[in-house]
Amino acid sequence: MSAILECRSLTKKFGSVTALNNINLTLERGKIVGLLGPNGSGKTTLIKLINGLLVPTSGTLYVAGMAPGVESKKIVSYLPERTYLPDWLKVSQAIEFFRDFYEDFDPNKAYDMLRRLNLDPDRRLKTLSKGTKEKIQLILVMSRNADLYCLDEPIGGVDPAARDYILNTIISNYNDNATIIISTHLISDIENILDEAIFIKDGNLYLHSSVDDIREKEGKSIDSLFREVFRC
Amino acid sequence: MLKKLLKNEIYATGRILLPIYGITLILSLVNRILIDINRHNAILNIIGSIMMFSYVTAIIATIIVTFILIILRFYRNLMTDEGYLMFTLPVKPLQLINSKLISSILWFIVSIIVTISSLIILLLNAERAGLIREGWNLIFGTFKEYFGDNYYLLIFEAVLASIISVIQQILLIYASIAVGHLFTGHKVLGAFASYIAISIAAQIFTSIVMVIIAYFPGSTVEELETQFETLPHMVMLLIIGLGVLFSAAYYITTNYIFSKKLNLE
Repeated sequence: MSAILECRSLTKKFGSVTALNNINLTLERGKIVGLLGPNGSGKTTLIKLINGLLVPTSGTLYVAGMAPGVESKKIVSYLPERTYLPDWLKVSQAIEFFRDFYEDFDPNKAYDMLRRLNLDPDRRLKTLSKGTKEKIQLILVMSRNADLYCLDEPIGGVDPAARDYILNTIISNYNDNATIIISTHLISDIENILDEAIFIKDGNLYLHSSVDDIREKEGKSIDSLFREVFRC
Repeated sequence: MLKKLLKNEIYATGRILLPIYGITLILSLVNRILIDINRHNAILNIIGSIMMFSYVTAIIATIIVTFILIILRFYRNLMTDEGYLMFTLPVKPLQLINSKLISSILWFIVSIIVTISSLIILLLNAERAGLIREGWNLIFGTFKEYFGDNYYLLIFEAVLASIISVIQQILLIYASIAVGHLFTGHKVLGAFASYIAISIAAQIFTSIVMVIIAYFPGSTVEELETQFETLPHMVMLLIIGLGVLFSAAYYITTNYIFSKKLNLE
């Protein structure tokens, strides 16, 4: 099986600002990867490049051997760090929308999760709180049977109780062939579920290693290492 | 996929436009009834005035809201947060543009049909129907007199030219929004500036084409006066030809930016 994500000398500049600088990165299938870094370090830029919302300034990026496009979008499930559903939709209509456009979407899974979190499918999105909208988006994204999940700050606005349920959902929906990229700075919350960690510092890849290796070599948790590396 | 996009597009816009169209048609019926019943009653007169005012507002809304929604829908659905959803769907940018263009043309045509229907509901009676028929015959008679037996062709060309002009305008707005989104942080301002710049460029291009055509033999004023049958066709074909050319340019520009230069922030 080929790598699910491959970046070669990937660079993205916004005008004179370099958001990502010469990133070389390969992710294998079947991993939960933490994409970690402070605000503005380039995490979201990398995720947007994977999803074709941005075009690289130079370098290449391949998802399962394909440049971002129609075919790659079929196998990538993306949760942006903002609410991207039209707010006049009902929850059930948003589910219909996903069912229409993604072959790998499983509506039963989505309705199950809604029930678990006591969310009413007949509500319109505009009547829901920001945190609830985030939950709904995460439910939609995780109800796909994708090869690569890109979750940008999936737990930022969600209360701790739902956070546990969501992390459980992520782990239990995870099949051997799929890789999950989770971008966050709430490291301690997700540390236990991570297989690998990527540190991004000022647009540069600072570290990419398995979590076990970090613990073994550095003798400390990811959270402590993060605090050390990104000390202000 | 285009079918699904189109279904989604028509639903998203129809939920705003259909109620407006419905209100317009109902108001024209109400006004018709109020006109037809005898109005020697002061209260009925006041109600009649209010209803007529509402009707005029609704007619204006039918046209203006349709036009504004065509622009706003494209911008909001593709260039703001909703763009994160639309541009990560497994569809080509071309299909996104096509679905929006087709639905826009559809609503444009429906809004014209609604406007004409509402006028018919409001004003048509046997006497006026006769007048319209007479006027119609007069117009067609004049057409035939001036433009010869194939005046139908000219009418067909005029309708085609109108439709292409509408498509050209819509695509100009799409291209302006697409170019505008390249201006980091000033997307709306960029879109306005692009609209003005592209319009001026199109004007200059059209003028150059006109000047070139004017140099061809047989296009002096004296000669043209003798060509009453062919001149209108030439003008129509020129409008259609330029319209197709500009539309294609705007379409290609929009698709190029969405495929190769997308920069959602």
